[in-house]
This record gives sequence, C-alpha cells and structure tokens, in this order.
Amino acid sequence: MHDGAAPSDENLLARIGRGDREAFAQLFEAYAGKIKSYLMRLGAPPAAAEELMQDAMLSVWRRASSFDPIKAKASTWMFVIARNAWIDRLRRERTEFAYRGAYVVSNEVSDDEAPDEAAVRVETEAHMQVALDTLSEEQRQVVQLSFFEDRPHSEIAERLSLPLGTVKSRLRLALNKLRAHWEQYS
Amino acid sequence: MSPRHHPAPDILAAYASGTLDPGFGLVVGAHVEGCPVCRKQSAAFEAVSGEALAALPEAALAPDALADAMARLDAAPPIHMPDRRPLLARLVLKPRKWVAPGVWCAAVDTPHAPDNRVYLLSVRAGMPTARHSHSGQEFCTVLKGAYRDELGTFAAGDFAATGGELEHQPVTLGDEDCVCLFATEGRLKAQGLIGRLAFALADV
Repeated sequence: MHDGAAPSDENLLARIGRGDREAFAQLFEAYAGKIKSYLMRLGAPPAAAEELMQDAMLSVWRRASSFDPIKAKASTWMFVIARNAWIDRLRRERTEFAYRGAYVVSNEVSDDEAPDEAAVRVETEAHMQVALDTLSEEQRQVVQLSFFEDRPHSEIAERLSLPLGTVKSRLRLALNKLRAHWEQYS
Repeated sequence: MSPRHHPAPDILAAYASGTLDPGFGLVVGAHVEGCPVCRKQSAAFEAVSGEALAALPEAALAPDALADAMARLDAAPPIHMPDRRPLLARLVLKPRKWVAPGVWCAAVDTPHAPDNRVYLLSVRAGMPTARHSHSGQEFCTVLKGAYRDELGTFAAGDFAATGGELEHQPVTLGDEDCVCLFATEGRLKAQGLIGRLAFALADV
C-alpha cells in the first residue's frame, strides 16, 4: 500500500467496511472537522455539532460495508450520513411519546352517491348556525372578533377591556362548545 | 405512474442539502420517495453538497475527539430495522379532527418544527373544501386520490407549493378519498365565518 500516494477516501471507506480501525482514524482526521463545520452552518451550536459529528462518524463505521463506490463518491456518502444525522436529531429532539397511538388511514366506506356540493354547504352552515346559537353572548362576541374579523387575541382583549387570558379561555370554551355540537353531525 | 408535479429545483436543492425546514422537508420527502426523477435530481444535489463538504474549512474539534470516536467503535450497534412501509403508514399522527362533513385532518407530530404545521388532510370523494388563502408558504404532496384547483390536477405523488398570494378551492376528483400531506407556515385563512370556524376547530 505504501506507494507514496495517500489512499483515496473511497479506498478508506472500503477498508473501514472490513473493520480497519486505522483507516477509520484516517478518515476521521480528514472529515470530522468538516462535518462539524457543516453542522454548525446548519445551525447546531458547537457542542451539539461535536456530538452529532461523533454520531455521524459512528454511523460511518457501522455502515461503511454498504458503501458502493459505483453509486456515490465518498464525499457524497459522508455528506448524506452527516445530513441525516442532523435531520434525525431534529426529529427526535423533544419528541413526545404521548401519542394516543399511531394509526394509519383506513379506507372508510364512502357513500356511493356523491352528495350535492351546495346542499352540503347549506347543511353545514345551518348546523353551524344552530351551534352558534348555543353560545353565550360574550362567547359569540369573541368568536365573531377572532374568526370573522380576524383580530388577534391581544387586540380583542384591548377592545373588550379584558385580560388576554380571559379572551383566550373564553374562546377556548366557545370552540369546545361548538365542536361538541358540530361533531354530532360528522 | 410517476408524479407529474415536482418541487422547483431550489426547493429540491434545499431539501438535499439539509437546509429546508424539517416540516417542509417531510412533505418534499413524501414526493421524492415516489418520484424517480426527483430522486435522481436529489442525488445530483447531494453530490454537489458532498463536494462542498469536502471543501469546507475544518471546525476545531474537542482535543480528545478521535480517542472518543475510537472508544465508541466496539459498542454494539442498536438493532435498527429500516421501516419500509409506505409513508402514509409510517407517519405518526395525532388524533383525527373533524373539519367538515367528509373532511378530517390529523396533525403529524413534528416537535422539531414548531413553526411548520404538518398535517394530513382527507377529503371524501365528491366533497367540496372551503375556499381559502394562505398566510405563508404551503407545501403539499398528494398521498392518495386526486384533486383539482386553479393550478391544475394533482394526483398521488404530485407536489404543490403555494405562496401567500394564492386563494384556491380544491375539489376532489374521482371516487377515492383524497389524502394530502401538508406543511404550512402560518395559518390557513378560510373565506367567511363558517370556513374560519371549521379551520379553527380543526386547528389548521
């Protein structure tokens, strides 16, 4: 191997794929600082970039045997690993696991007859009107201002001389009431 | 059938280089996954990014960075089965919300992108949707069924990007429910009180 020329990155990756730690150290020297630099450009703070770079390099070690120099250059392959480490991190960060359980879209049995568009709209509006009638006057007022006049909560609060929290809770109660009413028709 | 509506090159480039907001990236990814043309294009952008990576100045590393890396090599890798189900089955959704008769939506949990609102919208065949405008950028990939609006006909796999200026009323086509994956910045603005309330109830 000692022919004077530095081994190519592709060559290093092939050796890493066979478990060559020396090759890994060489590739690390060549890329770790650049990957950290890339991650910082994407917005990672230095400490996080360092950590992510370590994760990416570990992925390089683990996946090197799947590297195919015919499909991609080493730099492209390394880039994709670094980019995916970043995206995975973004996706995982602060993920709540408190879902009610993932579900997939089932093919609901749909009616054979396509409902007439206008009729549906009229019906919807009639239901909505009934629902609106169930609101108290002060609830109607915030609903009107927020959704019809499209005013921000802060402005509604100012206009009605109410604390912002009151506007928000009033709106929430109103929407809950409307939803409960409306869902009867779904 | 291959999709006919694709993301613009700048969007695809941002996607490939990792700079697209993650919520929007998810929607672009939904298209790219089923689009041979964009997969190829994306790979070309990745090669360019690879070159750029190799040319970047190096950031200073922690003094023991290499030693730390070497020490981790022998740890057993986590068992990680790649999830090969179609995207629609892989998405982690919050509970469905009813929007209007025959219409529901479900938010896709994207805590990594609090400013991008990502959600699935399903419209039953033949159902109208509320005419609405957008307060910001919106990306959409059709996962199932088809719809038509002022911009054309969009079927499964097709991608649409709309800006703040578009006001449209999509109509489903065919006899299949239309299911789309959306990312939006800013809220949708329905025309009229009823539409606004429906959108507010659905939190879109």
